[in-house]
Amino acid sequence: MTTKGRRVSRREQHRIGGTGASVTVRNTLIAYAFMLPFLILLVVYHTWPVIFGSYLAFTKYNIISPPQWVGLANFRELFADEQFWSGLRNSLKYVLVVPVIQVIAILVALLVNRPLRGIGFFRTAYYVPVVTSFAVVGLIWSWLYKQGGAVNSVLMGLGLMRGDHSLLDNPATALFAVMFVTLWKGIGYYMVLYLAGLQGISRELEEAATIDGATRSQVFWNITLPGLRPTILVCSLLSTISAIKVFEELYVMTPNGYPAGSTYSALMYSFSKAFGGDFNFGLAAAASMVVAVVSILFGLINFRLTKGGRSDA
Amino acid sequence: MPETTLPQTALISDPHAQLAAQLKAQRQRRERLRNAAAYAVLILIALIMLYPFYWTLVTSLEPTGNIYEAKILPTALSLRNYLEVFSGTTVPFWRLILNSVIICVLGVTFTTTLATLAAYPLARMRFPGRDLIFYSILILMVLPNEAGLIVNYITTIKLGLLAQTSPLADAARQYLAVVLPGAASIVGLFLLRQAYLGIPQELIEAARIDGARELTIWRRIMLPLATPTIAAFAILEFVAYWNSFLWARVMLPDKNMLPLSAGLLELSGTFSTNSRAVMAGAVITIIPILIVFLMGQKYFMKGLEGAVKG
Repeated sequence: MTTKGRRVSRREQHRIGGTGASVTVRNTLIAYAFMLPFLILLVVYHTWPVIFGSYLAFTKYNIISPPQWVGLANFRELFADEQFWSGLRNSLKYVLVVPVIQVIAILVALLVNRPLRGIGFFRTAYYVPVVTSFAVVGLIWSWLYKQGGAVNSVLMGLGLMRGDHSLLDNPATALFAVMFVTLWKGIGYYMVLYLAGLQGISRELEEAATIDGATRSQVFWNITLPGLRPTILVCSLLSTISAIKVFEELYVMTPNGYPAGSTYSALMYSFSKAFGGDFNFGLAAAASMVVAVVSILFGLINFRLTKGGRSDA
Repeated sequence: MPETTLPQTALISDPHAQLAAQLKAQRQRRERLRNAAAYAVLILIALIMLYPFYWTLVTSLEPTGNIYEAKILPTALSLRNYLEVFSGTTVPFWRLILNSVIICVLGVTFTTTLATLAAYPLARMRFPGRDLIFYSILILMVLPNEAGLIVNYITTIKLGLLAQTSPLADAARQYLAVVLPGAASIVGLFLLRQAYLGIPQELIEAARIDGARELTIWRRIMLPLATPTIAAFAILEFVAYWNSFLWARVMLPDKNMLPLSAGLLELSGTFSTNSRAVMAGAVITIIPILIVFLMGQKYFMKGLEGAVKG
């Protein structure tokens, strides 16, 4: 953001406002005409869901008849439902992906930041999963996870698995199998962000430390990592929130909490209440609201853990 | 670091020079070893990232055989599965491709046009309410929108976008229903605002002195200079619209209106469909994205970084 706060310097005003600070009626009309189509759609599809969604959480609603205020009844129903708790637990379990994906992404970024021949190819290759749809990627991995499939061959070849059973069919492993796909698809995305972060760290500083006799690991822990801290904050925040809101990969790979309801996430629960046949939009909105609150809480925790992303801390 | 070699005579006579040469050779050996290790890891990761796609391609090209096993080369080559996905399925594949193309064209046009227009006054004009609007959008970006799917579904029905009158009008409305929820992109707004802010004030001053009006300045100076950013944003949006499947699959009543990625899920869900044909469909779905991504890679990464910095 270039405008710092509400008070804008004269220079800045001049830059934005143009000569003579021409706040004319004509210009105001033009400005609003330019913004109007965007603002209308923004209000309808972004603002309205926040408002109406919060209201719906306290109502019974099935689209056909108007919403009926029921107070906290939806939340009572929610917290009495073992399925919802299991969904919430799974969403929280999914946060385990965050440290793993961040550590790997940082290591991969360091690796592809080296001036090696052909490094561009590797950067591109790692990014391909990011630009493919979860619909396609989810299908591909559910084929690879099949009994007698490629994943099992590798795992059995490494001696990590006994008995050829699909990881997606086993309630104990299904969620972790999907987590791996999330990890696989997400690494390239964070890698690019960390690469940008690495570019911002002064080369001179690292070189000076090396000349002064610092080892590679000393340089990493004392210069590179602190320099990456703002990027780490942003990346772990993004990935924490998307872990708690995990839905698409589960929807494609283990629909309806398959197997045996073991892979419900909180949002999957909400989805199934709304679109699974009983059109219970009130309960679904209440579940969404719980997910929203939890993701805000985790965002705050994350902010504290990374010390607000300050590199001097 | 420039490589310098000592004269041979100095190497033989000077013990210090000999030591230095040894140390240098040692360092080079270590560097080579380290590079070799780096390449080994790089290749291993590349295999993990690309093999699933390669496996799908190979399996889609095989007519028969053990379908799910790990493989390096196809046992036989045939385009049978590709023919089957176009002819032998319940969901017409040509129609899915057409749907995806229409949805992407509409989506990219809407998102880029709306953001290009809306970002301009926010970046370069002065008018009452500007800060209020700007900060409201900023707050909206961080507000949780988990109920979006549910409420947008209700909104779409209430707006009558799923009403049925005549086939052509129905189709047009359903395409709109797919595209509209993402049409106002806050990320795009910030990208474009940043682009407008980066244009030197001198150009605008010069135009003003020449008597240009606000609209002329926008059309003749700002718009051409913001074109690289608009292109980057268009590529991002193309990929986003091509890949999105959930909203369309949840909301559209007519399976013939689905985009490619959603239609693929529909296909794999029907028992009558041969899995290899679905794999052929998956390959066809990925190819346009790969082409766009490889061609616009530079734009893509720039756009991504810009989007996060917002």
